[in-house]
Amino acid sequence: MKRVWQHPDESNTDRRYWRSLGEYANTPEFSEKLGREFDPGLAGETDEQRESSRRDFMKIMGGVAALSGLTLTSCRRPLQKIMPFTKHVEWIIPGKPLLYATAMPRPWGASPMVVVTHEGRPTHLQGNPLHPSGAGLDIFAQASILDLYNPERAKKPVNGGKDTDWSHFQKDLDGWIAEWKKNGGEGLALLLNPSKSPTRAGLLADFAQACPKAKVYEYEPIHQRNYDAAVKALLGEGVALLPKFAKADRVFSLDCDFVGLDTLSETATRDFMKRRAPEKKDELMNRLYILENRYTLTGGISDHRKPLAASLIPVAAAVLAEEIGKLAGDPALQQAAAALAATADAKLREWIVPAAKDLFENKGKSLVLAGSRHHEAVHAFALGINNALGAFGATLEQLKVELGYKPADIAELKADLTSKKINHLVVLAESDPAYDAEDIFKTLSSLDKHPAVTHLTDRAKHTTKFSGWTLPAAHFLESWGDVRSGDGAYSVVQPMIQPLFDGASVNDVLLSMLGRKKFGGAAPVVAKDAAPAKPESDASYEAVKAMFTKVAGGWDDEKWNNTLRDGFLAGSAFEKASASFKSTAIVSIAAKAEKPAAISKSAMEVVLTPDAKMWDGRFADNAWLQEAPDPITKLTWDNAAWISPKTFAALGLKKDGDFIKVTVGTVSLNVPALSAPGHAHDSVTIPLGYGQKSSNVVGNERGFNGYALRSGSDSFVLNGAKVEKADGNYELAITQDNYTMEGRAQVREGTKDRFDKNVDFAQTEGMDSHTPPAELTLYKGRVGIKSKENPEGFDYENEHQWGMVIDLAKCIGCSACIVACQSENNIPVVGKDQVARGRVMQWIRMDRYFSTSGGVEDRGVADIEELENPEMIHQPVACQQCESAPCETVCPVNATVHTEDGLNAMAYNRCIGTRYCANNCPYTARRFNYFDYNKRNPLIETKLPLVGNVKNLYAGPLGEKTQNETGRLQKNPNVTVRMRGVIEKCTYCVQRLESAKITQRRIGRDDKNNLRVPVDSVKTACQASCPAEAIEFGDLANKESTVNRWKDSPRNYQVLKYIGTRPRTSYLARIRNVNPLMPSADRKVKTGEASLNKA
Amino acid sequence: MGNQFPRWTNWIPLKIAIMAVFMVAGVSLGVNYYFTPKYTKVGYEPTQPVPYSHKLHVGELGMQCIYCHSFAEVSGHANVPTNQTCLNCHGPDKGQIKKDSEKLAMVRDADKNHTPIKWAKVHKSPDFVYFNHSVHLNRGVSCQNCHGQINEMEVVKQAEPHSMGWCLDCHRNPENKLRPLDQVTNLTYKPEDLTREAFYGNLAARGIKVADMAKLVADEKPESLPQDMNQLVALATKKYGPKVTQLEVGRQLKEHWRIAPPESCAACHR
Repeated sequence: MKRVWQHPDESNTDRRYWRSLGEYANTPEFSEKLGREFDPGLAGETDEQRESSRRDFMKIMGGVAALSGLTLTSCRRPLQKIMPFTKHVEWIIPGKPLLYATAMPRPWGASPMVVVTHEGRPTHLQGNPLHPSGAGLDIFAQASILDLYNPERAKKPVNGGKDTDWSHFQKDLDGWIAEWKKNGGEGLALLLNPSKSPTRAGLLADFAQACPKAKVYEYEPIHQRNYDAAVKALLGEGVALLPKFAKADRVFSLDCDFVGLDTLSETATRDFMKRRAPEKKDELMNRLYILENRYTLTGGISDHRKPLAASLIPVAAAVLAEEIGKLAGDPALQQAAAALAATADAKLREWIVPAAKDLFENKGKSLVLAGSRHHEAVHAFALGINNALGAFGATLEQLKVELGYKPADIAELKADLTSKKINHLVVLAESDPAYDAEDIFKTLSSLDKHPAVTHLTDRAKHTTKFSGWTLPAAHFLESWGDVRSGDGAYSVVQPMIQPLFDGASVNDVLLSMLGRKKFGGAAPVVAKDAAPAKPESDASYEAVKAMFTKVAGGWDDEKWNNTLRDGFLAGSAFEKASASFKSTAIVSIAAKAEKPAAISKSAMEVVLTPDAKMWDGRFADNAWLQEAPDPITKLTWDNAAWISPKTFAALGLKKDGDFIKVTVGTVSLNVPALSAPGHAHDSVTIPLGYGQKSSNVVGNERGFNGYALRSGSDSFVLNGAKVEKADGNYELAITQDNYTMEGRAQVREGTKDRFDKNVDFAQTEGMDSHTPPAELTLYKGRVGIKSKENPEGFDYENEHQWGMVIDLAKCIGCSACIVACQSENNIPVVGKDQVARGRVMQWIRMDRYFSTSGGVEDRGVADIEELENPEMIHQPVACQQCESAPCETVCPVNATVHTEDGLNAMAYNRCIGTRYCANNCPYTARRFNYFDYNKRNPLIETKLPLVGNVKNLYAGPLGEKTQNETGRLQKNPNVTVRMRGVIEKCTYCVQRLESAKITQRRIGRDDKNNLRVPVDSVKTACQASCPAEAIEFGDLANKESTVNRWKDSPRNYQVLKYIGTRPRTSYLARIRNVNPLMPSADRKVKTGEASLNKA
Repeated sequence: MGNQFPRWTNWIPLKIAIMAVFMVAGVSLGVNYYFTPKYTKVGYEPTQPVPYSHKLHVGELGMQCIYCHSFAEVSGHANVPTNQTCLNCHGPDKGQIKKDSEKLAMVRDADKNHTPIKWAKVHKSPDFVYFNHSVHLNRGVSCQNCHGQINEMEVVKQAEPHSMGWCLDCHRNPENKLRPLDQVTNLTYKPEDLTREAFYGNLAARGIKVADMAKLVADEKPESLPQDMNQLVALATKKYGPKVTQLEVGRQLKEHWRIAPPESCAACHR
């Protein structure tokens, strides 16, 4: 019997969720996209152009077909070879991955990680759960493995533009060393990034002894200098602060993106988000207030947010300081803040007063944080407030730290260069100073005879242009080193692979400068205090062992081995400090703060921020990061200036990508603009790290260089900018409308009040209030648990039944899972052009919704006022593994079928590419390989006879076919590399599941009661990477599994439940802990409160 | 008007039709035979760089498969041994057996020059097939089931088609192949060589109840089940004859080890 399914009408709620301004205003362009499987917006191409390229293609294909007829390939079976090791390698079992613990050095500490290696090739990185501050990895750490395989890495020492080798460099170096011995290193300058490596610090201290007149400079493009200065002034030297989010009930952030790009500790995301997912009613939650000029990830998870121009953050800090001073009876703080606070407008104060009250009521459990790059006064106020709130020792820990050497800062470098005190500059920084601290090198090139520059670099950079010697740098996965994480836990960075391109680490270069290492084959000189070493031992290895001996208090083989195995040395955390707070110093620092510049249409502010993908620009050659959509704007392959919709309209801009001209002082920059809801008015945010020149096509000339706008290398908020409309439009590849699902309460959220009153509100929201019974489904297939009544169901007795839950209350939207999935599952990069056509291949799609008041009914013209401060929520969507999957019923070749353990499996070799399945997927979770993205480089152009230059993908069989040979080394051997014409999608990392099941069968052998994989022992790649621990995966058939506990949560709901697909992935609703006293009444209705249906 | 065509031409269409039937049958039979792995793969016997004889080492000297293919039981991949393994016996400073043999020159060179021997690959599954040795060996599937009588081969050749249908034959009816775990690497194993006492005794020693085993033997008449081992052996003898049979072994193992080979795509294709 045929049954006609009537979709029930969407029920009314008072919140409306939308993903783009197009959806918000319901523009015709958007509705057009909604009905289609793939984005029809063919990047600025007309039908005619498309037709002509099709004809070109046919022409070429015809020629190829004719030619191929002339040659007949041989029918003989090709002889394949097996080559075993000649000498067996310890630990390696061919066919089994080996896991090593290591850590990635970061500016603020370390990212502890586990590296998956296959026969000596690192292929995937994931968080180290053993490490005290180990959770997942952020997107940069996750993607860093691709940098190892960058084909355009520096491969050889280069001298004056000519390739040479290390022994030539050693010859030069020997000469320099002899000279430094004579003159004490006069005129020698080292430029580094700050690091938390004890070995490097030790070597620099040794170096200072060996060459007392040489100078060491340190700088970080995305620096924390102002913060450090404030801490030093108020708490004294040798103290570091570590926020303890696990203990913080109330957090107030002054433009501090602490879960995103303003990392204060490795555990911030994990600890903070853990407190935001209540399981039962009346459970305690933390609360977050934030003031910021643009939307950040931290803003997205906040309970109260107000867009505020960055120039006004000092004022806001002063107002908060004044209010807290009043409440806590701290007149010193109150007075210090008074002058600046007086300039605040009434609305801002009105917003801050109830927040201050809330913070004070939770004294000892509250915390105030300030964005790293704000003025020293902001940090002084924040520390003063924390002091008044009793945060020190409670939510803000003081740690004793010691550097061991005294670096000078970059301003000093500029002065020394100008006064010609430097004749040899050795650049060991990982960043690119000629690009991100441009004025230093402007100084350099203005000198009539500039000093010799020796540059250790992983790829050709802007700085390379100045250098005499360019040395290839080793990746952190190729070299020995060590690092301390934020809390001081000591980790050894161990190499996974011999340097692919003959690179050397910073430690190697320092050792060679100390004469303890010889490049170019000569035996190294072993340090005296090191542990027993083999004669061929590497000097860096010895240096790390020597430092380990010092840190561990004596050499101990077992401790060393445990450190290597676990990834950290137990009991090596920093000691706690208890410096007294010098509250009197606040006044003098506060006095340094200038009166905020007036921000207006004619004098806007420009805020430079680290980019969510490029950081300060050092990841420019990383294709995964380039293609990962920015978590806020969903922009790929470029950056753009973010402007509030109101300012956007006021500037006379029509659509995203329209150029604006930003002039600061004498410098001006033409940059495409993006209308960004929730942005402060008359403020322009430009993410840094773009507009570089690179020898790799991935990073070459993408986006626009924001560094160029500033005159020094210090400031990140530029005032008095003139912004005007410029000519032209730049094509931006934005993914936010790609793969759009037709919306019916896909994201669900509510206030804590609502949750306490009605814990399972999420299960009855939207369509689920009148969901048909579970057995009723549109699509056939087995469902439910196998039993006598349901013989076709899934076997929970004998099989595993996999399931996943994603907690939206914990998900911050950082997109690390996207990259983790890409790395684990060999997902190709498709390039900007293909992204613009809606052909992104990433299996996980991070949907970013804004929400505003106004239910579904009042879809009308965009209400600019309403767009001032919408709320933001992220939802990762991958294949939901439906039990009765719509895709399976339409596949003509049974290429997608169900497994006995509940997976919706894909047999890629069987797929013929009809794309029926993708058409029938209500979650739009399937991706199609329009081209052979793995074999053919999608980023380049190929020159063809007769036709001329065409995009490589469109050159058919004549295109370049050898893309990125080194990149192949990264591929996971357990996952098929898909070819053209094949659909692919998330499989819950089936390779990991199968391998776990096989391992268990190998252990169980003939014991039939021991065939079930141990509870919670398998993790999917996205789950293992999630820094917020928002993804849980496991065996639904095992009653003890955590995923079952999550599924029982009252917040659990399935997306599009009413169509009866019975997805195995479900979501937990987000809860916001709203303070009823806040003047958030500007949001017409409280977050997520559903009104009763009018019907 | 006379007949333009002679009378026999009336039969031409029928003859053509009959011929066509034979042709089609012949072609399809041919394709079915010659174009399938049964023909294209079975018997593939490339020449190896070193004339290593499995017949000598395994068949005559009785070496264990696992001595050389040491990770077959722990890894998905059954490794080809390093030349160090060869030199354990043949090495000048080790076992010294035939240490100067001309045939072993390549092995000694490989050790000296660190250049691996390039063995010719015999058994090749496509890249999209993820076969795992360890799970088969640990669950009662023998080397011999897929690789044939290696112990009788001077030069290794492919004995079975290794096609998807052939894999599925066994995944659907594993009882036809399963054998006790201690017989997995025994290439001369025959179920007839087992004794019922030992076979059922070993299963009982692993905690399997006599009654449960008996249920499988006497599936038709479940009223009078034997309660001890003697009765069970007697019952099995009555049903399967004096010798142990493959089906008898296979059905017991399948049930009591819970062998449920996956038949879904994801088991082998990812």
